[in-house]
Amino acid sequence: MNLLYVGWDHRAAPLHLRERLAFTPEKAREALDGLFAEHILSEGAIVSTCNRAEVYGIAAGEDSLDAVAGFFSRFHNVDDAVLRQTALSGRGDATARHLFRVAAGLDSMVVGEAQILGQIREAHRLATAAGTVRTVTNRLFMSALECGKRVRTETALGKKPTSVAGLALGLAARIFESLEGRKVLLIGAGETAELTARLLADDGVSEILVTNRSHEKAEALAAANGGRAVRWEDRARAAAGVDLVLSATNATEPVLTAGALRTALHAAPRRGPLLVLDLAVPRDVETEVGELSDVYRYDLDALQDLAAENTRARASEVPRAEAIVEECVLKFQEWRSGLLQADVVRSLREKLESIRRVELEKHAGKLAALSAPDRAAVERLTETLVAHILHDPTVGLKEGDGSERLERAAAVRALFRLDERSK
Amino acid sequence: MTDASQIATTLGWVALVAYALSAILYTTSLYRTHPAIGRAATAFAIVGALSNFGALYARSVALHSVPYRDLLGSMKLFGFFLAILNIALEFRHRDRSLGPFLMPVALAFMLLGVSLTSPVHADAPELKGPVFALHVTLNMLAYAAFAVACALSLLYLWVGRSLKKRAFSGPASRLPSLSFLERANRTSLSLGVLALSVGLFLGLYWASRMWKGEHPQWALDPKIWFALATLAFYIFVVVRARRGAAPVSTARLSVAGFLLVLLSYTAVNVFVSKLHDFTS
Repeated sequence: MNLLYVGWDHRAAPLHLRERLAFTPEKAREALDGLFAEHILSEGAIVSTCNRAEVYGIAAGEDSLDAVAGFFSRFHNVDDAVLRQTALSGRGDATARHLFRVAAGLDSMVVGEAQILGQIREAHRLATAAGTVRTVTNRLFMSALECGKRVRTETALGKKPTSVAGLALGLAARIFESLEGRKVLLIGAGETAELTARLLADDGVSEILVTNRSHEKAEALAAANGGRAVRWEDRARAAAGVDLVLSATNATEPVLTAGALRTALHAAPRRGPLLVLDLAVPRDVETEVGELSDVYRYDLDALQDLAAENTRARASEVPRAEAIVEECVLKFQEWRSGLLQADVVRSLREKLESIRRVELEKHAGKLAALSAPDRAAVERLTETLVAHILHDPTVGLKEGDGSERLERAAAVRALFRLDERSK
Repeated sequence: MTDASQIATTLGWVALVAYALSAILYTTSLYRTHPAIGRAATAFAIVGALSNFGALYARSVALHSVPYRDLLGSMKLFGFFLAILNIALEFRHRDRSLGPFLMPVALAFMLLGVSLTSPVHADAPELKGPVFALHVTLNMLAYAAFAVACALSLLYLWVGRSLKKRAFSGPASRLPSLSFLERANRTSLSLGVLALSVGLFLGLYWASRMWKGEHPQWALDPKIWFALATLAFYIFVVVRARRGAAPVSTARLSVAGFLLVLLSYTAVNVFVSKLHDFTS
């Protein structure tokens, strides 16, 4: 029961190599079938993302790490030496630790990113459909998913966005509970405004207003997102009536001034705070706008500060996430050692029982001379001998922690040559 | 000491310990995000509130009257309402952010109520009846709602200030959104105004019947006028907020209003008012 992983990720394998090693769902299934057909693996699943291509499974033979690399070399038509140089691999607990770290987002290019959990779930689903996931790999993947969820629930690792869209939405969440039902004003009708309008529409905002120097462009963008165009000269009044203003024009002078917004706010009192996001360079919104009561103004510099803060916050959460991963590894180790121990005891019992039967058959002639009660006594005697021999190893295999039990199980398996017998 | 009085004292101490643990755990949860800490804080708040209720009930049995006819008893009721409002807001909004601010106040009131508990006095027939009970209960509920509004306002000012200063990390970053704090503040203020209006009306009705013979000048009691002024102030704040006043100014007025409540509840009761001097 040799658990292993072999893979190529963003740290060791360059992008051009990862591109060649990427698996579509069909290719992954084909590769799994091949690994089974060539008796390289007896259980397995493939995780393939833009940052990694990895196979996890139970080795069917001794030199499976090399065999997997060789198989991938043939499968993807990539130089075998290059693959061996750039491969990451591990056995036993290292396999679980690696997959759990991947699921936690600790091994990702952007630490804490959330997509990986869905990708692992998909890899598990695909391998289950292919019938290549069995007892150990099933448990391995289920534990990885549970571990990934725990890290996301118990730490802030994945709660700190670093992309502009994520940061903007994160700031909006600090000011409003959600954007659902909120009114938004987009100043500008360029690419940024268009992309943001689409994101905002998906987030359930109640109304999107668009204003632009060219009113036709504003109307076109508003129509494409179920919004309403506002005349350029009415932009300050429109800003005072919404919850979120997002400005992204190419103007060289501020298009939203503190004076105009102050006047508009006085004319139409509003409930609740106003968030103003200035995504333009040079800036669209006067800095003094941020000094108005209940108006929160952020520009790209502020978003950059927030991104840096989030990166630091993510880094500070890593030790806690690593501790959770170690807990998950220990739990998996406990389960696996229990499974191995039961398997070793069963194999050992079968081997001793078979020796007992062979010896009794060898001496069947001499035993035939005995009376029936004496033959039964000899039978019981040999059974008792086997039971006594088994007692101490059975107890010993249950002692110690998970890693000790794994070592003991491996030692018993080797000493009694249980694998040879099963072959 | 009667059995009921003994039970009231014991349950009061249980509530005090539970509130203390809850306050510590809520405060810890601001800095450590482990869900077990938050859950334990909520559990202790619930245990504390149940014990507090039990203590009030046992005291009412011992007194044959409402259990909060004196200042210390009313402090226990105030602590109870704070804990209940905290739990209600937490379950309603699935957010524990108010706990670190409300539970220490609940604890402080419970501590005063328990440690300074006066012995149960002889039966006081004038302090009986549903009108008196409702008057005190609703006034206490109003004060608790104003305390919650004050906590929400302080949080609003804190979060708003940290957002203006672009301080994106620290405990303020783990507090609820400004919009939630603003809405919850308005709700608490409205609840307080409603409870205080009805409570004061019932109090005036009760006083006009019970005190007209013994205290013909009852209407001149400073406590009554102070309470009416407090009510007028809060009505002004609520109307202003509902008409679209800046949330920051509503938050500041809400904090100022609670200072009036504290003044009314302590100094006016103890030193100025003769008819509302609960310590006698």
